[in-house]
Amino acid sequence: MTRRIPVIEGLFAELAEGPRLLGSRCARCATPYFPKSPVCHNPDCDESKMEDAAFGPNGVLFSYAVQNYPPPPPAKYDEPYQPYAVGMVDLAEGLRVLGRIATSDFSKLHGGLAVELIVDRLYRDTDGNDVVTWQFRPAGGATQPKERRANP
Amino acid sequence: MTEVAVLGVGMHPFGKFEGKSVTDLCRAAVVAALADAGISWREVEAVAAASSRFSGGKGWGLNGNDVVEDMGSTGVPVYNLSAGCSAGGNAFNIGYTLVASGVHEVVLVVGGEKMPKGFIQTSGVEEKTDPEFLRQRCIGVSGPAFWGMLCRRRMEDHGTTEEHLAKIAVKAHANSVHNPYARFRKPFTLEEVLKSPMVCFPLRLYEICPVSDGAAAAVICSAGFARRKTTRPVWVASSTVATARFDDGVTRHVAAVSPKGKTLHSEAKIAVERAFERAGLGPRDVSLVELQDNTVYYELAFPEEWGLCKEGEAERLVEKGETAPTGKLPINPSGGFQSFGEATTAMGVFQVAELTWQLRGDAGGRQVPNARVGLGQTIGLGGNATAVVLKT
Repeated sequence: MTRRIPVIEGLFAELAEGPRLLGSRCARCATPYFPKSPVCHNPDCDESKMEDAAFGPNGVLFSYAVQNYPPPPPAKYDEPYQPYAVGMVDLAEGLRVLGRIATSDFSKLHGGLAVELIVDRLYRDTDGNDVVTWQFRPAGGATQPKERRANP
Repeated sequence: MTEVAVLGVGMHPFGKFEGKSVTDLCRAAVVAALADAGISWREVEAVAAASSRFSGGKGWGLNGNDVVEDMGSTGVPVYNLSAGCSAGGNAFNIGYTLVASGVHEVVLVVGGEKMPKGFIQTSGVEEKTDPEFLRQRCIGVSGPAFWGMLCRRRMEDHGTTEEHLAKIAVKAHANSVHNPYARFRKPFTLEEVLKSPMVCFPLRLYEICPVSDGAAAAVICSAGFARRKTTRPVWVASSTVATARFDDGVTRHVAAVSPKGKTLHSEAKIAVERAFERAGLGPRDVSLVELQDNTVYYELAFPEEWGLCKEGEAERLVEKGETAPTGKLPINPSGGFQSFGEATTAMGVFQVAELTWQLRGDAGGRQVPNARVGLGQTIGLGGNATAVVLKT
């Protein structure tokens, strides 16, 4: 049976209410951090009061690009290589996050597009496990083939 | 503070040189710079060198020590400066500071690099505390994809077309035809650029810079020393170093704070604005710019961010050919990183060499007419940037 393994432990979680990024926030100045930060980096904040925080799922795409060529190590991907989109997403919590944009129709992507956080496969490892990571997809409509199959 | 002059510059041509070491490349650049300055190696009082991550330096970035041992150990102080792709600019700034403060009269600044093939890779450290590792392992965002995201947003905001991007590459290579130190000296047509493979949409192969081997050196000195050696010195009006603001919206890690204002490279803007301020000069005084064009996108974004043109005006300047050497705002008459390829830590010194040739009127077929003031700028990993203003 295929297991889902996070690409790196502790960066995201699939909670009952949905996927979330695991970060922190300074209670003093409200600056959000992902991954967690031991201190606040805001130069205008005089006191680090860090608390754990979960971010997502709602965001807006600032911009995107397509990784047409396979990236160098330590990136990992399934063979044969399929180009994928990456984007900068502004989450509602004031955090700008890089991530893959899970869609095969790049022509629908544009700045200002509403997106939502998901956790999905990055690659399948040699033991047959799905190694998963945080990603974003256009909100309000599943664009991944497997989800179209699940919800015809 | 004493006035500082660029007395001599030298370069080893850029390219791929299988049979040469980085020390070989630096030696050629240093020997040329000393000859251009009309001084001997023994007159050099200190060396400021860019630390390379990829070649030489005994694995510790001691590239200045390599140069001193190679030229002949005279006991001079050596400063090895590390700032990613900005290291050459940092080395120049330290050399400038040593002379301006009166500590030394004559300082050699040098940067050289032999680059591994392909995309620049991360440090190789597989630790979750390393942001570059996280970016690449968890997402897979190459350098060109990062530039592609910034470029794509500009296309949506300003109506930048694929032709605009390609035109910048065509201009770069038209300049490189006249530069004997450039790696790619062939003119490209608009069609050739537009048909080159898509690397990271919207950026094509001929719209991003490859990596190269190369080296550059500069001899800088006090005003008094310069007047004894030459009748036409080039003056350093200012040299600055800056790092990024925490809230500029550029995701240097896997995340950043969403910016309140425009998304831009604050480190470059701060370095350039500070350089203008310290030089007592402004954007209107600039005859030419050598900026870090890892991708053609930066030739559109940077001039606006630094006040060299109005917001949204950059594409019009490109359309009208105003960024060519004979235009209103000449950008990268050397041919830029597009034509040289990036020998990462050499580039800040490479820019000083080109600006010096331009201000002397020695740039041949790529000469900017009546060049009086030149601006150079680098940007590097870690949110590093440098700027330099040279004047006649």
